[in-house]
Amino acid sequence: MIKALRYFIEIIRGSFITGRHFASNFFFRCLKVLGIKTKRKGAETIQYPEQRKEIASRHRSLHRLMTRPDGKPRCVACMLCVTVCPSECIYVEAAEDPDPEIQKYPAKFIIDLSRCCFCGFCVEACPEDAIRMDTGNVELAEYSQDDMIYDLDKLIR
Amino acid sequence: MQEKANEMIKIFIDKEPVEAEQGTTVLKAAERAGIHIPHLCYHPAFPPEGSCRMCLVEIEGFPKLELACSTVVKDEMKISAKSERVVKARKAVLEFLLAEHPLDCPICDKAGDCKLQDYYDEYGLFESQFKEAKEKREKKLKIGKSLILDQERCVLCTRCVRFLKEVTTTQDLGVFHRGVHSSVNIYEGAAVENNYSGNLAEICPVGAITDEDFRFKTRSWFLKEGESICPLCSRGCNILIEYHPGFPRFEVPKRVYRIKARENPEVNDFWVCDRGRYGYSYLDEHRADKIIMNKIEGENVLTWENISEYLGEKIKRLSSAKKTSGIALILHTWLSNEELFLLHKIFKDDLKVEKIFFADLPQGEADGYLLTSETSPNRRGAQEIGFDIKPVDLDALASGTDFLLAFGPFLSGLFSPKDLKAALNTVKRKVLFSSYTHELNSLFDIVLPVALIAEKEGSLTNVEGKVQGFQPALEPPGESLPEWKVLSDLGKELGIDSKFYSELPSPEAILIEMGKKIPFFKKKND
Repeated sequence: MIKALRYFIEIIRGSFITGRHFASNFFFRCLKVLGIKTKRKGAETIQYPEQRKEIASRHRSLHRLMTRPDGKPRCVACMLCVTVCPSECIYVEAAEDPDPEIQKYPAKFIIDLSRCCFCGFCVEACPEDAIRMDTGNVELAEYSQDDMIYDLDKLIR
Repeated sequence: MQEKANEMIKIFIDKEPVEAEQGTTVLKAAERAGIHIPHLCYHPAFPPEGSCRMCLVEIEGFPKLELACSTVVKDEMKISAKSERVVKARKAVLEFLLAEHPLDCPICDKAGDCKLQDYYDEYGLFESQFKEAKEKREKKLKIGKSLILDQERCVLCTRCVRFLKEVTTTQDLGVFHRGVHSSVNIYEGAAVENNYSGNLAEICPVGAITDEDFRFKTRSWFLKEGESICPLCSRGCNILIEYHPGFPRFEVPKRVYRIKARENPEVNDFWVCDRGRYGYSYLDEHRADKIIMNKIEGENVLTWENISEYLGEKIKRLSSAKKTSGIALILHTWLSNEELFLLHKIFKDDLKVEKIFFADLPQGEADGYLLTSETSPNRRGAQEIGFDIKPVDLDALASGTDFLLAFGPFLSGLFSPKDLKAALNTVKRKVLFSSYTHELNSLFDIVLPVALIAEKEGSLTNVEGKVQGFQPALEPPGESLPEWKVLSDLGKELGIDSKFYSELPSPEAILIEMGKKIPFFKKKND
């Protein structure tokens, strides 16, 4: 009996907390709309997916492979990203380029996004600035795990 | 000189007292004491060259820095290998070496094993002071069947030139032009075409000479190495097998990526021939990994646990009916000393089997240095154990053989498939121990996958009679097991001298037993 009473007390307490947050957010948000600067801003609801928040410039999103001016991948298949990747989700196979100035290019470049932890180490390790995580694409859900495996065609754009 | 060689003197390296042989160089003495003095051009196989200037050390009483690779030690010599002056000098040397170096480590196959890279990491880490553009040179010059020369990366240590002068004496490479234009090249398009060319890529301290066989296949830091003995001829060269342990999420195309020489002054020095270096595909291609049962009576499913029971029962039935003449054996000399000894003991001593043949690859051509004409590693061992090495006689095999134990895939190369099939069809029961999936397998009732020399423990006797032990460098694929395990179980199962076999848990124990029975193997044991 007493246990059940405590349960109701907690529910009432919880609704007071929600109410307090609503009131303070409403108040500070109104001040902001009216142009009055305060220390607190008050949380705002964004109508995702119709409305989207701007992504910070250093945000790490889906990878992309950079290309040379002629469209060839900038990657030289040095495999430093493969080495540094903590979730071991990158696989590169090198091939011989006829141009002696390039010599080495990736015949296969696979990122298994279902395993990637978006740490960005591959971007930092890359000596050629060939991989970046600045596409802004964060909606990477797929219906099957196989679709999460990105190869050269999907990574170069 | 030779008399004095063993006399020890005392020198000081970085104030540490170090024992050194009279007449040796500072670099060798330091190396012996476990102190690494950086060097690029010095290689223990050749006399010191002194062209890279990386091994500079400070010696008390000498006004200038001296070369560790060519300065002979004297009693009470005080050497500092890491003083401020030395480090400064090494930095300066490195800066000059790197002034013309392209720094294309991302595409260089040597990255990871490169000495220049290591020393820059240790002493350098400076910004280049050179404003001038680097000299353009040939970046992809094919100089041999499997060698690619990148002149930009070369630091002109001349190890390659000296190797071709002193070891192969073919002198295919030389240093052309002068000053900043000096470069290593071949003479008039005459490529390096000897059986030891692969060593050039190995001794090159930078990525100037790289191996086409290994080119862009993987990066060296992914590879692990295992020590083994090359089985491709009877020299028994000591090798390192570099293999990829694999990635957890992706399949790698190969297991073994390259073979390197392992130093052994008594057999192969620092070298291995191209046949041994590039002929490693036998380790990975067409490997058998499952027990194959083509024909078997009853519901019997054979596993490694009951295989010796099965074989033992068949042999016991023949031997109790005094029909051991119906047993035939086809061996090969890729088997280790221990395995051949067990086979000799079981079949020749215990069962008195007469029909023992050897099926090996045909002889090849020797090259006068390391490569021998014998194409299998342990013929000498088989002879010392007491086998009479007879080639396979199909008529003898076909007449009255009830049970055949064959080893190795080499049988198919010796006879036409038709003859082989006709002969084998007359044999009632036949079991093959083979490491490969081969059409030969279909002719046998049971095929047992076995480990190769790189995957098992044992010893081999080389052509000079040197017994060399080896440990597994790789994991045997799938269900494969080494032959000696099956054979020692079989020995126990037959029950003729079962006490003897029950005390043989490892090849090491077998070798000790061999030493007791065969004096040839005794002296090698001590």
